[in-house]
Amino acid sequence: MYRRILALLIVASLAFSAVGLAQPKVVGYPGLGMVAGTPGGTLTLALGDSPPRFFYYGEISAISQALTMQMFDTLIDFDLETYELVPGLAREWSVSDDGTVITLHLREGVAWHDGTPFTADDVVFTFDQIVTNPEARAGDAASFIFTVDGEQRRATFSAPDANTVVITLPTPAPAFLLFLRSFYIMPKHKLLPFSVEGGAQPADINDAWPTDVATSEVVGTGAFRLSEYVPGQVVRLVKNWNYWRVDEAGTPLPYLDGLTYLIVPGTDAQVAQFLAGNLDQLNISGGQFPDFKSRELAGAGFSVVAARALFGSPPHLAFNFDATDPELAAVFSNHEFRQAMEYAVDRMRVIDDVYNGLAEIPGTPTAPVNGAFYEDTTGLMRMYDLEAAAAALDALGLVDTNGNGVRNISPTRELEFTLTYGNDSATWTDVATIVQNDFAEIGVRANLRGIQSSQLLGTGIAGDYEALLVAIGNQPDPELRKPIWQPGGSLYYWHRATQPAAQGERPNFDAMADWELRVFEIFETGSVNIDAESRAANYREWQRLNAEYVPVIMIAKPSNVAAVYDHVGNFVYNLGVIPGYNPVPHYFRR
Amino acid sequence: MLVYLIRRILVMIPTLLLVSVICFAVIQLQPGSFADRYLEDPRFTPETVERLNAQLGLDKTPVEQYLIWLSGIVTRLDFGFSFFANRPVSGIIGERLAWTVVVAGVTLGFAWLVAVPLGIVVALRRNGFTDAVASFVGYIGLAVPDFLVALLLIALVLAYGGTNVGGLFSAQYLGAPWSWAKFVDLLNHLWIPVLAIGTGGIAQVMRQMRANLLDVLNADYVRTAKAKGLHPRRVTYRHAVRTAINPLVSMAGLQLPELINGTIIASIVLNLPTIGPLLYTSLLNKDQYVAMTLLLFASLLLMIGNLLADLALAWVDPRIRYG
Repeated sequence: MYRRILALLIVASLAFSAVGLAQPKVVGYPGLGMVAGTPGGTLTLALGDSPPRFFYYGEISAISQALTMQMFDTLIDFDLETYELVPGLAREWSVSDDGTVITLHLREGVAWHDGTPFTADDVVFTFDQIVTNPEARAGDAASFIFTVDGEQRRATFSAPDANTVVITLPTPAPAFLLFLRSFYIMPKHKLLPFSVEGGAQPADINDAWPTDVATSEVVGTGAFRLSEYVPGQVVRLVKNWNYWRVDEAGTPLPYLDGLTYLIVPGTDAQVAQFLAGNLDQLNISGGQFPDFKSRELAGAGFSVVAARALFGSPPHLAFNFDATDPELAAVFSNHEFRQAMEYAVDRMRVIDDVYNGLAEIPGTPTAPVNGAFYEDTTGLMRMYDLEAAAAALDALGLVDTNGNGVRNISPTRELEFTLTYGNDSATWTDVATIVQNDFAEIGVRANLRGIQSSQLLGTGIAGDYEALLVAIGNQPDPELRKPIWQPGGSLYYWHRATQPAAQGERPNFDAMADWELRVFEIFETGSVNIDAESRAANYREWQRLNAEYVPVIMIAKPSNVAAVYDHVGNFVYNLGVIPGYNPVPHYFRR
Repeated sequence: MLVYLIRRILVMIPTLLLVSVICFAVIQLQPGSFADRYLEDPRFTPETVERLNAQLGLDKTPVEQYLIWLSGIVTRLDFGFSFFANRPVSGIIGERLAWTVVVAGVTLGFAWLVAVPLGIVVALRRNGFTDAVASFVGYIGLAVPDFLVALLLIALVLAYGGTNVGGLFSAQYLGAPWSWAKFVDLLNHLWIPVLAIGTGGIAQVMRQMRANLLDVLNADYVRTAKAKGLHPRRVTYRHAVRTAINPLVSMAGLQLPELINGTIIASIVLNLPTIGPLLYTSLLNKDQYVAMTLLLFASLLLMIGNLLADLALAWVDPRIRYG
C-alpha cells in the first residue's frame, strides 16, 4: 500500500498539450503579483565571478549554481509562493507507509537540449554515479548513507521503467523529499565517460565540463541552454524552445529569449553597472538600501524590493566553550554567562543601523518565515538591557576587582577576549563594533581580530578563536543543518569537546551538558520520525532550549533585498538563489 | 654581446627558483585552507575535506607539493592546475593574457607619449607657470591611487548618463565578431582604464624626465655646444634630450611586471578581464598554483624587462657596451 503524499490536486490539474503529453499546468502566482507575460527579449544579470566550470557537481560555487538553475531541472520544486513541494521533472510521487520507499513518476516527453529524450536512467545515473560519488567535490555522498543498527547502509536507486524511479532508503527519512529538490538531474549520455560506470576513476567526474568545453556538450532539460562563454566577461544562455513548463494560459515558458550574465566581480562595479542600466536586476544588501531607495524615489526607473528570507545566513555570536585559556573556557561554557552577554547585544540597533531595518529578530535559529518549524522564542530571548547584563555578571562574581574598568575573572585575569569577525565586509565590521562598544559599557573588553569572511567558519572549526561573529545558513528543515546544531556535529564549533574523537565514532556524551544531550536526542529522533506533527514539536522544543541556554547568541535575520528595473515583469525574490526555487522562467520584458 | 645575453639568461634561473621558494612559503604561511570557503555548504562533510585534499595533493607535505609542482614545470612545462577551475593554469592565464597586454600596452604607451614631451616642456620652462601647474597636477596624479581615479571617472560617467562604466565592451559586443562599431565601443570603454591607470605613470615619468633633462642641460658639453653656436633647439633635442632619456629606458623595463600586479585594484573596480584580478582571487582562494605561476611570471617579466632595458640602453647610448 502506498500513501500519496502530494495532494490529488496536482494530478487533477494535469493537462494535455497539443502533442498529447501529460503536462501539469503551472499554477499562476497572483499572490506574488504575477501576470501573463509577453515572450521575447533578453535580460542582463550579474555574476560575481567567472564560473569555475559548468558541471554543478564539480565545485561548490554560487556562480555555477546560478547558471545551473537556469539550464537544469530538479525532480521536485518549491512552490514560489507557499514553499510547498510541487512537481518538477517528477510529475508525481508516493512514499510507502513505512517511509522507506519513494516512487517518482517522471514527466513524459521531456528532452535534453540536444534532443535526446530524458528518462529514468538519467535520474538513476545522476544519483548513483554523481551525487553519491564521494569523490565528486560538490556531490553529497554522506547524506545518502544511513546508519542502521551501527551499520552504514546506502540509499539505492532503480528505474523499473523509462518513466519511473524508485528510491529505497535503509531507514525512514522524513526530510528526504525536501532534500531531493536540491539535486539537478544530469544527462547520462554526455557524462557517462566521466563516471565509474563509463570506466573512469571516481575522481574523474570532476573533470566534466570545464569552462573551455564546447557549449553543445553542456545539455540540460532547463529553461535555457548554454550558448556562449567569453572568459572573465560574459555567459550567454538562450531559450530552450522545447521547455516543458507552460504558464496558466498554456504559453510555453520561459518568456525570455535569453539571459546574459555579465561577469562583474566587486560590489561597487556591480552597482555602477546597474545604475548605468547595463544590468536589469541586482541583489543588494540592506546597507545599500538607502542609496537605491532615494534613487528609486527620484525616478531612476527601478524599484527596490525586500522579502523576508527563509534561506540566507543569520549572523550569530559564539563563545568558545573550549577556549585555550582555561579560565575563559570555564566562563564561556557557563550558560549564565552567555545569558548575561545576550542582554548586551543590541539586536535592534544592528537591525536599524546595519541593515537599515531590512532584517528582523531571528529565531533560535529557525527563520521566522519558516511556518513549518519556527517557534517564536522572542519571549525567552534576552533583549538589550545593559543594566540587566551588568547585574547578571555581578551575580556570577565577575566584578572589577582592580578598579581598571574591566571586570575580572580572577585577580590576575581580566574578563578580556578577542572577538574574531570578517573585516572584508562593512556589515561584519559594523556589527563587531556595536558589540564591542556595548560590551565595554558593562566592563567586558573585546579586542577585535579581523580576518577574511570566507575563513570565519574554518577558524571556528579549528577552534582558533575566543569569541566569533559568523553567519550560518538557515534551511527549511532543521535536519538539513544537523551537523551545525546537533551537539557533536562536525560544525558544532562552539563546543568542540562534544565531537567524536575520530570520524564515524560516537560523539563525546561526557562533555555534553544536560540540555545538549536533549538536543542531541531531538536531532536523532527528527532524522527518522515520519510523523510530521510530533517531529515539528520536537524541533520547537530544541529552539526553546537554544533560547534558554544560548549556545550562540543569534543577532538578526536579514531580508533579501534586490533592485530591479521596471521593464522586468514578474520579478520575484522571496527565497534567494536556492535549488528548486526558480522564478526566472516567469520573468518577461515589458 | 651574445655571451653577455646568455650569462644574463642563466642568472635568471637561480633567481626564479629562489623567488618561487619564497612565494610558495608565503602562500603556505597564509592562514586557512582552500576547503574553508566550502565549509558552510550543507553538502560539505569532513570526509569531503579529506577527499578534496587528497585530490588536490594537499595531503602531501608542503615540500613535496613544491617539488611536484617544480618538476612539472621543468619536465613538461606544466605549471600545475587551478583548484578552483580544475584546469591547467596555463590555459586560464592564456585566456586573459591578450587583454592584459592590450590594456597595459595602451596605458603605458599613453602615459609615455604624454609624459616625455611634458617632462621636456617643464624642464625647459623650469619654475615657470607651466612647470608649477604640471608639477602640481603631477603630484596629485602620484598621490591619488589609480582605483580612486577609476571610481571618480565611473561616478562622472554615471552622472552624465553614460553606460560605459566598466569592462571593455558593452554587453552586446562581448563575443561578437570584430566590427567598426565594436572597435568604437572598445575605445569608448578603454579611455577610463587608460586615464585611471595612466595618470600615476604620467606623473612619475614626467618628473623623472624633467629631473634628467635639467641635469643634462647643466652639463659641460651642453654649454660647449651652445658656446660653439649650435642652434638652441638642436642642442636641446639632438644632444640633451637624447642623453636625458637614457635612464627612462631602464625605467621602462621595470614597468613590465606592472602588466600583472601593478593595477590589481583598479582592474577589479573597472571590471577588466585581465590577469591582475585573477592573481587577487587566486591568493584569496588559496588557489596556490595559479598564484605561484602568476608571481613567477611577474618576476620573470621583471628580469626580462631589465634585460631588454639594458640592451635598449646599449642601443640608444653609444657609450654603453657589454662584452
